Amino acid sequence: MHIKKLTCAAGLTLAAVVVGCSNDNLTNLNTNPNNPTSAPPGPVFTYATRLSAATFVGNGFDLRQTEFVAQHWAEVQYPDEDRYARLDPASTQGTWTGAYSSQLQDLNKVAAAGLAAKDPGTYGPAQVLQTWNFEYLTDTWGDIPYSAALKGDSTGGSLTPAFDSQKDVYAGMLAKLASAATALKGAPNSLGSADPIYGGSTAAWAKFANSLRARLAMRLVNVDPATADAQLKAAFTDPAGVFASNADMAKLVYPGDGVYNNPMTDNFSGRDDHRVSQTLANILIANSDPRMPILMQPVVDSSASGPLGYAGMPNGLSTSTAGTYFRIASRPGSYLYPGATTFGTFGSAANKKNPTYLMTYAELLFIKAEAAERGIGGLNPGQAAGFYNAAIEASMAQWGVTSASAIAAYEAGPNVAYKGGTAGLIQIAVQKWVAMVGDGAQSWAEWRRTCQPSTIKPGPAAVVNFVPRRFYYPNQEYTLNAASVAAANAAQGADNFGTRPYWDTKPSAAPTYVSAAVCGP
Amino acid sequence: MLRLFKRISSVTAALATVASVAAAQQGGTISGRVLTESGAPLTAASVSISSLGLGAYTNDQGVYTINVSAARMTGQAVELTARRVGYAPKTVRVTLTSGRNIQQDFSLTANATSLTGVVVSALGVEKQKSQLGTAIQQVSSEQLNATHDQNIVNQLEGKVSGVAITGSGTQGGSTKITIRGANSITGNNDPLFIVDGTPVSNRGRGGSPNGGGLGGGNVDFGSVINDIDPNDIATVTVLKGPNAAAIYGSRGANGVVLITTKRGSASANGFQTAVTSSVTFDTPSIEPKFQNLYGQGSGGQFQFVDGAGGGTQDFNDQSFGPRLDGRTMGCIFTTAPNSTTYDQTQPCTQFNSPVVNGVLQPSPWIAHPNNVSSFFQTGQTWNNNIAFSGGTDRATGRLSIGNENTKGVIPNNTFRKVSSSFAGNFNVSSRLSTSATVQYISDKAYNRPGVGYNSGIMEGLYVWFGRQVDMNALKNYEPHANQTFSCNDQYNWNCNFHNNPYWIQYQNPEADNRDHVIGSAAATWKITDWLNAQAQTGTDYYRSNIAQNYAAGNLGYSDLAYNGAFYHFNNTGNENNSSLLLTANKTAKSWLQLSGTLGANRRYATYGSSSLQSDAILAADIYNVSNSAKSPTVNEYGERRQTNSVYGSGSFTLGQVWTVEVTGRNDWSSTLPKGSNSYFYPSINSSLVLTDLMPALKNRVLSYAKIRGAIANVGNDADPYQLATTYVGQANKFGSLPQYTLSDTRANPTLKPENTNSAEVGLELGFLNNRATLDASYYGKATTNEIVSLSLANETGFSAAALNAGKLTNKGVEAQLTLIPIQLANGFQWTSTFNYSANRSKLVSLYPGVQNYRIGSTWTIDEEARVGQPYGDIFATPYKRDKTTGELLLSDGLPQNDAGHRRVLGNVNPKWIGGWNNEVRWGRFTASALLDIHRGGDIYSVTNMFGQYTGVLASTINGRQVDWNNPGLVIHGIDQATGKENTVNVTSENYYQSLFENGEAFLYDDSFVKLREVRVGVDLPSGFTNRLKVSSANLAFVGRNLWTHTKVPNIDPEFTYTTGNYQGAEFAALPTTRSLGLNLRITP
Repeated sequence: MHIKKLTCAAGLTLAAVVVGCSNDNLTNLNTNPNNPTSAPPGPVFTYATRLSAATFVGNGFDLRQTEFVAQHWAEVQYPDEDRYARLDPASTQGTWTGAYSSQLQDLNKVAAAGLAAKDPGTYGPAQVLQTWNFEYLTDTWGDIPYSAALKGDSTGGSLTPAFDSQKDVYAGMLAKLASAATALKGAPNSLGSADPIYGGSTAAWAKFANSLRARLAMRLVNVDPATADAQLKAAFTDPAGVFASNADMAKLVYPGDGVYNNPMTDNFSGRDDHRVSQTLANILIANSDPRMPILMQPVVDSSASGPLGYAGMPNGLSTSTAGTYFRIASRPGSYLYPGATTFGTFGSAANKKNPTYLMTYAELLFIKAEAAERGIGGLNPGQAAGFYNAAIEASMAQWGVTSASAIAAYEAGPNVAYKGGTAGLIQIAVQKWVAMVGDGAQSWAEWRRTCQPSTIKPGPAAVVNFVPRRFYYPNQEYTLNAASVAAANAAQGADNFGTRPYWDTKPSAAPTYVSAAVCGP
Repeated sequence: MLRLFKRISSVTAALATVASVAAAQQGGTISGRVLTESGAPLTAASVSISSLGLGAYTNDQGVYTINVSAARMTGQAVELTARRVGYAPKTVRVTLTSGRNIQQDFSLTANATSLTGVVVSALGVEKQKSQLGTAIQQVSSEQLNATHDQNIVNQLEGKVSGVAITGSGTQGGSTKITIRGANSITGNNDPLFIVDGTPVSNRGRGGSPNGGGLGGGNVDFGSVINDIDPNDIATVTVLKGPNAAAIYGSRGANGVVLITTKRGSASANGFQTAVTSSVTFDTPSIEPKFQNLYGQGSGGQFQFVDGAGGGTQDFNDQSFGPRLDGRTMGCIFTTAPNSTTYDQTQPCTQFNSPVVNGVLQPSPWIAHPNNVSSFFQTGQTWNNNIAFSGGTDRATGRLSIGNENTKGVIPNNTFRKVSSSFAGNFNVSSRLSTSATVQYISDKAYNRPGVGYNSGIMEGLYVWFGRQVDMNALKNYEPHANQTFSCNDQYNWNCNFHNNPYWIQYQNPEADNRDHVIGSAAATWKITDWLNAQAQTGTDYYRSNIAQNYAAGNLGYSDLAYNGAFYHFNNTGNENNSSLLLTANKTAKSWLQLSGTLGANRRYATYGSSSLQSDAILAADIYNVSNSAKSPTVNEYGERRQTNSVYGSGSFTLGQVWTVEVTGRNDWSSTLPKGSNSYFYPSINSSLVLTDLMPALKNRVLSYAKIRGAIANVGNDADPYQLATTYVGQANKFGSLPQYTLSDTRANPTLKPENTNSAEVGLELGFLNNRATLDASYYGKATTNEIVSLSLANETGFSAAALNAGKLTNKGVEAQLTLIPIQLANGFQWTSTFNYSANRSKLVSLYPGVQNYRIGSTWTIDEEARVGQPYGDIFATPYKRDKTTGELLLSDGLPQNDAGHRRVLGNVNPKWIGGWNNEVRWGRFTASALLDIHRGGDIYSVTNMFGQYTGVLASTINGRQVDWNNPGLVIHGIDQATGKENTVNVTSENYYQSLFENGEAFLYDDSFVKLREVRVGVDLPSGFTNRLKVSSANLAFVGRNLWTHTKVPNIDPEFTYTTGNYQGAEFAALPTTRSLGLNLRITP
């Protein structure tokens, strides 16, 4: 009897083995129970939008890298980034890798879904946001994979995409923005609330597309004035329009729920690396800027402070020297702190919801002011002062300065009151740079284009004696896409801080150009 | 039960009277001589009746005498066994009749050590070693358990050739094991572990040199194989190549570690008891060498106010401060610009300076040379195992219970393991026999040390700890009553970056536990006398939990606005294998033996995990998701897979001389696409005993010669879910918005099985009547069509793709040489064993257009597989050098990183590894020592990089022998600006910090020699063992990792953080422990 049972058990095991051999049952086991193979475009767009902002404005790339290069801020402890030592390819790699395989690929999928459905309300925003990302990448590195990128899963798509010249990338981006603006105009809202920037409004996205086109066009003004002129004109006259008020700005408002906070408040809640750079502080103090109390905090050790209790510190010091500025240089404004931090209470808990800006109305107005002063984009020099003051007012409003009299007094100040001509272009560049605190990459790019503020210089302990013109390509390129990066280096120049990308090759053409000694080699 | 207690108490009583001599028994005697085959007397051989617990040793003439009391002479038959090291034991049955003396002589045959005899082979089948065509090495329980380690794999170190083992980077952590090099570029390279026929998981848990955030791999929780209690193991057999493992299917391609646990045997008179007990005392084997001339600070200044920047450089956690000369005033400079004159009106204050009226008072600025080492304590490991076995002709069983309690070398860190094991056999009839084994292990660890960057305790101690800090003052870690500075609810030397190390250990409870069951049942039906059918089913099941909690005020991981943070993780793994197996063994003719197997197996495995984490809790000390102040982050993952297989083998042996075996297996896998998921793979092996084929070959020198060879092919499937790219949902909503992102890994619907081809030849030689034996193998293998998760340049839109790509080859030699240089008639024997292996790998191709695969990266180095290069190259940033002279190109007197010219600077794999064991046995005494040797291979040490950056290491005295900036350093090299020899003098601080992110400066030759094991043991006198009624009792002094020779400064050259493929980058690993202790073994 026992034997019978055992035989039976053995028989069952055999049966199980044989049944298990059925291939259908076997392969069905491999259906992924964790993740779906398709997703609606909305939630993918939400994710990509959040990550786009997180990559380029407010997080590490901005706070710990480009803002030190652009010298709004300086690093007070372990200033390896401020000395450009920790802007080596291992440290800057994450921005590149994250942008391509996260938001850019996700936006690719959203755009593809929208195009397949012939739905500009879906693909338009995706294309605009994708272009916004590409612009940060190319401005940081120069030549980048663009036309062959993001095709790792398509038939015949390259696993080692070639790099495009920055000239071609710009041409591609401008064309993409033009077509997106056209497609978006009048298109129905498809993304709705899944779009945390504009709630899916195609009219708003069209304005962003044209405004971004103006940014890109002005970036080319030294190297290719004709294209800049034509593109600015096209952007300003496009029926879909450009930003018309602060309400049109492209910004991402954070939930501030502890999971997704404004990234600057998150950083400043736990680290005390930043002080205001004396490059920025000196300009704010000299002009008695009403934004000063918002962008700076009074120094802790008041015995060492300037007349108003504010002081900046130099960039690019050695660890031992930087450390001595701990109490005698201003921390960034309390606006960037989330209330209680390790170091005391500097801001309000509500600051966790502060937006980060993808592009501001003030920036667009500065672009218009510059175009007017240069007489391009269909504008004339007579319009420059108006755009210039409007830009300053938009920035004041954006930073929360409400006193009209204070703003008026500022605008009348000896350094600020618009002078026109080359002096006006310098004023536009400096005021634009001040207004772009919090967007290190744009500020750095504008400095490379205009050489303003001319006080931006490498610190005494910097590893190179010039301000970087670009970053090193990430280490992984030499491992995983070696032939392509070698070709890019052959075309663009050696992979180092000193090689200038395409639009940076003619800073001397800028009226604001001071001298090679100031603007770098 | 009562009987059991009596037995235990008698053991205890006997232990208490070690010195006392047992009184002689009355009654009959059993006596005789123990001789060699040639008739020479054997001294110190043991002869025992284990069922009665009686025994004796032979004297110089080989004579033994056992007295048996009259009461025990009841006419029963008992087994009388003679044992002697170096000889095969022999057992005879004798009948004890009252009043009758028994004369019984023994003639023992010398063991041919590693060349002949029976070994446990694939499928647990015992085979004559002479008939094996593949490389197999067996380790006995005694060899394995010479000393005790927390991880059984560590106990194999140096004992098996061809096996590379790297011990953990933390106590209780993972151990990396690979056999004959890595087969897979990106996948699993661990061998398959099989316990009593059941595959057992060796999945790693956490661990990374890069550390990580909350729940991000900052702690190495050890791999699952740690659970096995080595005391229960009878043999460990290592099947080294795919050849030996072809029958085990895909996972055998990396080799198989076959573990057979001890069984009971028929015992005429009740059960037998075996006891193993050991205690060891553990200390870190290597500690960094720190400097003690300069204290915390930077640029020669330091003054403590609040440890967060309130005082001069007091936020700073490096040791480039003022000289530790006992000054109490003048630790910062006068305020004059660029002053380097110490201001003698300013007090030298420290975190633990006395407080008067709320003001920190001047206190002497002195070094605390032992501040880091005093944090360590002497750890202890107590290990006990008691086993009962016995049975009748029909049924036998063995039950064991073991426990291991370890007190770690850092405070409040403990490991506890309780293991139990049962093995039973029941012969239902003469044709049907059944057996079952079950092991249950429960382990618990508390406050394991975090390793790597930003991960807790080791980093803070090794590279950031101010040289003047008094560790003793930190023991009282709660905020002090008169504390003048707030410090995140702690009392600490720095409030900007660090937690108090004691606070971490006592206030941030980390606990993990695992329950693990391995069980199997089998029934064997003897169809005829040459044909058996066996049905077996076995399961490996574990469930583990990790709870990492962080108290309010914890810097790192937690939102300081709340009251703490937590990360809770649990996972469950289960693998079931059921098989049917027909086995035939027939002696067809006197000169022809035939055997064959035919089997079917179903493997079904599931794995699931989930985690909950929050960086903010509301009520303090309640680490529960319902107490989270924010939306917690939650994760869930599940997977399942199945492989169905049929397999078979057939072999013949001609005249005990020539054996040929063929095997074949077909798998159907759930993880490959339909149409590609069935794959067949064959193997063939053969052995030829030359000395039997041509007896003329035998002479006084050569006593045995065998050649063998094998060719095998092994297929392999993919991990689950690699066929379709998915969107990954985010548990956290953006506000109220759900989020999805396309996976960064591109799937592949057209995957094919991968394939490993391997061939090996072997030579086994015995010399001088097998006093010297050599077992050598040469192998080559190539894995093609590899299923890789190939890293892609992210501009493709993906960071990795599942692809069939690449070809990786390995070839190598391995040898075991055993010598018995001295073997005397008086029982003195010296045995020397050397294991050697060298493996060379080469990545032949990867994927069209893709030349490199990145295995892992740390700071500025990448470990890579590069086409045309060996696996595991280190690709890193070198110094900028002058092209013609090769000298350093300096800028402002400092070396520069040549980030634009990164290149291969080393390789993590050793050129060869060896183990050299020497054992001397004389009478009842045995002494053995095992050297573990690694030659070649490179490591990248972040501990050295940051230890220099922060100025804590002794080497950073260079340039500040006189004062913080005096004499300074003029680095030898060429000034980049002038092209001339550098003359710029830089401070020590600026120099060492300029090496940050340099790969070349911190790459070291990882060669080392370790005195891995030492054992000095004595078999207790027979009078004592007789009283215990056991056959032998051995007491030994044991030691592990007693001595290390290496060129790598400051760190243990041996470390791993994970069982994964990324090895060779070190940061803040806990050195292996040096342990010393006692071990007692009582054998029934």
